[in-house]
Amino acid sequence: MITRMKSFAFKSFLFLCLFLVPFSIKGQDVYDIRVERYKSTWNNLIPRYTKVQFAGSMGMISAGVGWNYGRDHWETDVLLGLVPRYADRHAMVTMTLKQNYIPWRITLNEKFFFEPLTCGLYMNTLFDDDFWVKNPDKYPSGYYTFSTRVRLHMFVGERITFQLNKKKAPRKSITLFYELSTCDLYLISAVSNSYLKPSDYLSLSFGVKFQIL
Amino acid sequence: MGFSRYWFIFFLLFTACDLIDYHPYDGRLDSDIETNLNEKAIVRIESACKTKDTIRFVMTGDTQRSYDETERFVKHINQKTGIDFIIHGGDIADFGMKKEYEWTYDILSKLNYPYVAVIGNHDIIGNGDHVYKKIYGKENFSFIAGNTKFVCLNTNAIEYDYSNPVPDFSFIREEIYDDKEYDRTIVVMHAPPGNEQFNNNVKDVFQAYIKQLPELLFCLHAHNHQLSVSDLFNDGILYYGCENMSKRSYLLFTLTPDDYTYEVVRF
Repeated sequence: MITRMKSFAFKSFLFLCLFLVPFSIKGQDVYDIRVERYKSTWNNLIPRYTKVQFAGSMGMISAGVGWNYGRDHWETDVLLGLVPRYADRHAMVTMTLKQNYIPWRITLNEKFFFEPLTCGLYMNTLFDDDFWVKNPDKYPSGYYTFSTRVRLHMFVGERITFQLNKKKAPRKSITLFYELSTCDLYLISAVSNSYLKPSDYLSLSFGVKFQIL
Repeated sequence: MGFSRYWFIFFLLFTACDLIDYHPYDGRLDSDIETNLNEKAIVRIESACKTKDTIRFVMTGDTQRSYDETERFVKHINQKTGIDFIIHGGDIADFGMKKEYEWTYDILSKLNYPYVAVIGNHDIIGNGDHVYKKIYGKENFSFIAGNTKFVCLNTNAIEYDYSNPVPDFSFIREEIYDDKEYDRTIVVMHAPPGNEQFNNNVKDVFQAYIKQLPELLFCLHAHNHQLSVSDLFNDGILYYGCENMSKRSYLLFTLTPDDYTYEVVRF
């Protein structure tokens, strides 16, 4: 009885195998594709470059990572910045989300190319409890109509890129750039006052980008 | 082309240091900005008015984001004669940003007459109060012009928590009992009692306290952006409020040995 049971179990196992093998091969493929997709999704999240920027109303020094896309016409940066201590206040940390648009690329020679215009927007936030997004409850509602914590900036600039090793690592390059920017509150002050000159409300910054991937 | 671009970048780097801005609220002042302005102005006012029996001063305020009008005001005042000093009733900045302080500083430093500035609520936003203290000095101060003492107070209580005494009664107490020589007192503030900025739980105490100042003549304030003369506590002490700078007017007070007059001047 037991042996018959065993042989029945064995036969049904074989029978199952016969039917399942083709399916499992197919299943393996689907699984691989899903793994590949999963990997490439995460691979896309690997930053393509690092950036360091000096000044620009978002900190004395900001550094972070970013991604190129859209045939390298678009770049998105995430930067952390440091505002040193001045006027009897403690130092502050800021975070910036920056969107760059680079419409043109001019090849100068084998190693250099020049981008005559970069432009975009960035949003900067302070990590500091003394600054608010919405008016704290102590104020009558709508007392101040702006946020002291989050600033929206706009910029234009130019940059030049040096390609390190075009054959071995075609993406690897160093880019130097400068930008002129202004922020929402500077602009609001400027538009209603002819007294304010561009040198009053424009901010100059310099930076370097290390393209890795 | 690349070479000339490099030189262009270097040129920018070395000539455009004023354009370097770390953050709107970094508190990093331009190196050419003087500090402790109120103290320096007070030295000028006190020495110039020492022997005078008639004092003429301007009360204005709320220059916030009215740079064109402030410049116009400076040109107008500089053409006038016989003014001893100017009081800025607060709200030098609009968003509490360092650059706003610097812009206003640049315009007001062209005044031919000394000016003192009290702190307004918009001057405190962000880290503005630290910038105020650096440029203008203490938030509560006093000075004597002729035979009149001016007691200038921070009254923007809502901007602080209870760890900051606003109004500072111990300062007022020191002013009541100091041994300087003067015959009467004028109190200057940004937000008047009863206003949403004021700590109204103590407004009656405040009034009782400042009335102990020798011969309180009247009080001056800004903040409301409108002309007002009101006997806030029905006790005969008048509170004069000036318009904001964008309305292009100011109050001109003339203090005579026994009395005073004022006029509203439009420019």
